[in-house]
Amino acid sequence: MAGYTSAELREMVQPDRVHRAIYTDPAIFEIEMEKIFPRVWLYVGHESLVPNPGDFYCTHLARQPVVLSRHKDDGICVLFNRCGHRGAKVLNAERGNAKVFTCMYHGWSFRPNGALAGVPMRQDFPEETLKDPRFGMARLPRVESYRGFVFASFNADAEPLPDYLAEARRGIDELVDRSPDGEVALSAGCHRYHYRGNWKLQLENLADMYHPAACHASTVGPDGRQFKRRAGAEGGDAAFFAANGEAIVAQTGVRGLNNRHSSEASLFDKEQSGGHWDDYRALMVARYGEERTADILKNRRHSMTFFPSSDILLAQTSVRVIRPVAVDFTEVEVWPVRLEGAPESISDDLVRFVNMTHAAASFIQSDDMEAFERCQEGLATQGTDWVLVARGLGAEIDEGNGVLFGPRSSEIGQRAQHEAWRDLMGA
Amino acid sequence: MSVTAQARAAAGSNAVALEELRRFIEHEADLLDERRFDAWLDLYTEDAVYWVPAAPEQESWHDHVSLFYDDKATMRVRVQRLNHPRIHCQSPPSRCVRVISGTKLDEVTADGAWLVRSKFVMVEDRPGNPQRVFGGRYSHAVVQEAGRLRIRRKRVDLTNCDQSFPMLTQPF
Repeated sequence: MAGYTSAELREMVQPDRVHRAIYTDPAIFEIEMEKIFPRVWLYVGHESLVPNPGDFYCTHLARQPVVLSRHKDDGICVLFNRCGHRGAKVLNAERGNAKVFTCMYHGWSFRPNGALAGVPMRQDFPEETLKDPRFGMARLPRVESYRGFVFASFNADAEPLPDYLAEARRGIDELVDRSPDGEVALSAGCHRYHYRGNWKLQLENLADMYHPAACHASTVGPDGRQFKRRAGAEGGDAAFFAANGEAIVAQTGVRGLNNRHSSEASLFDKEQSGGHWDDYRALMVARYGEERTADILKNRRHSMTFFPSSDILLAQTSVRVIRPVAVDFTEVEVWPVRLEGAPESISDDLVRFVNMTHAAASFIQSDDMEAFERCQEGLATQGTDWVLVARGLGAEIDEGNGVLFGPRSSEIGQRAQHEAWRDLMGA
Repeated sequence: MSVTAQARAAAGSNAVALEELRRFIEHEADLLDERRFDAWLDLYTEDAVYWVPAAPEQESWHDHVSLFYDDKATMRVRVQRLNHPRIHCQSPPSRCVRVISGTKLDEVTADGAWLVRSKFVMVEDRPGNPQRVFGGRYSHAVVQEAGRLRIRRKRVDLTNCDQSFPMLTQPF
């Protein structure tokens, strides 16, 4: 497989198009795993997954098994899930609690901050070697939380997390503010699905307001409305087509943020109301006041997507994580969020409706997965090398602070993602 | 049926009731295999729930995600979509066979529902896609309604319920 120079990689992203090889060439995927994922900030998990000292949650970053843990003094840590002795993966359960994390192979054990705790028959090792922290469970050099959302970087020189998230941090704010206590919990497990396609196909889809009319045609009922996607007597479903025949969702705008992140505007026209949603609103008003509550519950955004691999689904009150496995294989998780301080039944509704929109068996996600797999097949063709992301090019409105608004399902979001890709891969 | 399954059960003829119930849940599997989704939907009561948990021994659909958690209205949307001419993830459609074994009548509840447990394997083929095999346990709550058997509750416990899935379009 031919290598690529930085200049060649830069050329693969043009203002209105990208080269198909970025989806299909295994060599480029390997370069992404060196030049993108280990260089930037990656979402690891939420603090609510590890509420107590000794709690652990196992996941992957850049294809590597890692552990999110809580240590009694050091707090939240992110460790490589690897024994400091001969390299076995130490923790094999997804979640749990332990005083020390013990390797099954020779019985070495590690504290939740990665420090070596115990070595069977220790006297036969050179003691100096055992004092080297590299022979504990090594820690990722950078770990920062933003309102409970834990991000980590393999890059010791990464810019501070707030600078990386920049304007996109508002997606986290807008989600967490919907809790009357200002706290969310990822306590309802997650949906997991996979598809035979490149990870960027999912990433781009998260900023794609253009596809629903065609891709999700089968979700529109005979009455011209899409199925009810959110709970509440009001505000749960939306008319799908406008009088002129355009899909209303495709009239919605998209934002590119700071040349890397993206956000879709909300497609709902009403605040959720009726029954316990009115009780919830009263709790919110008691906490935040009427004006602020109206602002929090406003249908502002459908999603906020953080380059390269995570997403806040504001419409579904969920967090999505993209896990690249191979150039043509991707796993995805969708975690519904419970709103602390809200009536339990509100969070129950949120969990339930995500089943309908984002489970592997859901009405929406299954068609998207079909689209991703057909893209992967189609992109193998050699008739043309370019993939167009030209929709709305030149119609962007500069909102300041690095935010560009693209009306009418602009492909500004995909262009922002590709710019980030170009700058990292071409460096 | 001249003598209802319920009456037989009441009379203690559980073996006879079980035979009718076994035929009934095999009939449900046949309707799904044959993609007769409207007829399948009609087997369910108006207050029915079709549930496929996403965790082993999951107790509640409120506080944990599920692969399917459908009330009758949601089942209608699902069937409407399966019948829709532009359901892309079913173009071409899946071909499935469901094999049921080990059917047991677990109990008859106070409100007259039979709890029927069974094991199943489902093979799904879609041209151009890898063959998929699912397996697990069915649990049906079956009632007598207007002279015929209907399903009030179906729970499907897949052996791999908490793993990652490719797109799922077929009820199990």
